[in-house]
Amino acid sequence: MVPPPQAAPVPLERDRSNRTAATDSSARPAVRVTNLSKRFGDGPDAVVAVDDVSFEIPSGSIVGLLGPNGAGKTTLIKCLLGLVVPDSGRVEIDGVSVHDAPRRAYGRVEAMMEGARNLYWRLTVRENLRYFASIAGEDPDTVADRHEDLIDRFGLTEYADTQVRNVSRGVKQRAAIASTLAHDVAVTFLDEPTLGLDVESSLTLRNELRTLASEADVTVVLSSHDMDVIEDVCDRVIVIDDGAVVADDTVENLVGALEVTGYRITVGRLDERTLERLDATVPIDEITHVGDRTRLELSTDSREFYRLVAVLESEDVRLSAVETLTPAFEDVFVRLTGGDP
Amino acid sequence: MASMPLGGYGHLFVAVLRRELLVFVRYPVDAMGAVVVHSIIFAILFVGGTAVAGGAFADSLDAVVVGYFLWMLATTAYMTIAEDIQAEARWGTLERHFVSPFGFANVLFAKSVAKLVLAFVYAALLLVVMLAVTGTRLHVDVLTIVPLAVATLLSVLGVGFAMAGVTVLYKSVSNWTGLLQFGFVGLVAAPALEWEWTVLLPLVQGSHLLQRAMRDGIRLWELPPSSLAILVVTAVGYLALGYLVFQRSQKRARRLGVLGDY
Repeated sequence: MVPPPQAAPVPLERDRSNRTAATDSSARPAVRVTNLSKRFGDGPDAVVAVDDVSFEIPSGSIVGLLGPNGAGKTTLIKCLLGLVVPDSGRVEIDGVSVHDAPRRAYGRVEAMMEGARNLYWRLTVRENLRYFASIAGEDPDTVADRHEDLIDRFGLTEYADTQVRNVSRGVKQRAAIASTLAHDVAVTFLDEPTLGLDVESSLTLRNELRTLASEADVTVVLSSHDMDVIEDVCDRVIVIDDGAVVADDTVENLVGALEVTGYRITVGRLDERTLERLDATVPIDEITHVGDRTRLELSTDSREFYRLVAVLESEDVRLSAVETLTPAFEDVFVRLTGGDP
Repeated sequence: MASMPLGGYGHLFVAVLRRELLVFVRYPVDAMGAVVVHSIIFAILFVGGTAVAGGAFADSLDAVVVGYFLWMLATTAYMTIAEDIQAEARWGTLERHFVSPFGFANVLFAKSVAKLVLAFVYAALLLVVMLAVTGTRLHVDVLTIVPLAVATLLSVLGVGFAMAGVTVLYKSVSNWTGLLQFGFVGLVAAPALEWEWTVLLPLVQGSHLLQRAMRDGIRLWELPPSSLAILVVTAVGYLALGYLVFQRSQKRARRLGVLGDY
């Protein structure tokens, strides 16, 4: 690694000096997946774990992999890392093929797998950072500043010289993520990084992930069951179901595609005859009488909404309030996959 | 490796050795367990052998000490490789070693060598205990013993690599790894002079030469070049074979999607 010529380097800024001219391109995605497929078993019992998946992830972004249990998220991550050899397709990390030149690609990638320690519990937090930097080919002394910065960013100063076995789960998780950044990575894969964390630790982690992506140009690919984490942190979401990509867009666009899925209309109390007439015009999902008012909820588009309003006007019913209903991100997920996250 | 400077391998080796030493220092009781257990087993063997065989046992005591010393070195080196793979997989650190730019097998080799260094420390302590218990005197010429023991243990590392590959692929193979451990007894005690073909097996030639060096005081440079050549060829051969088995096993494990799944 060649240190920056200027004094006071920003430790977490990525050192691009190790890129070869042939691979250096600002337009190149951090991760490029092309027609990736993996099937386990043969014949009728075969399971398609990854089904012709293609996507690109730009450098410095945070992308969430979302899908129901057994959707193929972990297998996909393992294929991206070369831990599982795909039947077909290609994976490039920072322009280098993981399957053709794995050792060159691994210089730019790290991973934290779900439900595992990911660290040596008998070493301290700082010793773990040094160890994982070393097995990535770095001189741990030259990246000591980077480690101090990580320790500070992830709130690990108090625990830096404590053996990992003696710290809380939240601290272990933060230390594990910090260790994936102990050397100059382009991409880090985090499988369920907030699993088991309390709210405060989870929020701290989310902030740090965002900061890392924006300041340090680290691309983060994370899978999570926590919809809040995905919605809060990710620039983009790739929804996986039965091994295939069923959606690939920003959270806003995914929600926006289904935006105004219905209306909640509050009017003066309606009698049965009017309600029957309304229901015959537009199916009403829910009717609630509250005091002298009636609240109607319907899943429909704006054309039908105006037909319903016309019926109400013909019945001389005044509208007290109209609210448009937008789906939560979780609703979008359920609609895309038909399952629980 | 195309882009990894040589110095990087130095950092790798220092890191894995440093980790072993830190754990050794922090958990000395745990670390010394192997020495204590082997010392107790040897003491039982010594008392039992003396009681049953009397003078005959006493006549071959120096051979027993040398053989036990080598067996302890071999089992420690071999078992730690196979057990290390399983432990790393349980901890979720196996995958992290896999994505090292050094290559999984090279990282494993560096870890094995680091463990071998500690195995020498354990074996040296055990040797002191055995010499004290039996009152035996042996020639301990470090310049002779260390190269011979290292070359001997390279073939064991090869066997360890092969078993590590089998472990990666089939997971629960602890019964087999344990069985092989006792197979080393036969290899250490194999009659290399009577059955010359046995020198092609792992450990056998090294054990024979170590016996000559430690019992008869023969120096490394006094040993026949042909004997040393057999030692080197078997060491490199078994190491290469074990490495190959490991590489093929981990590739198959990745195709089956079972790498790291325990």
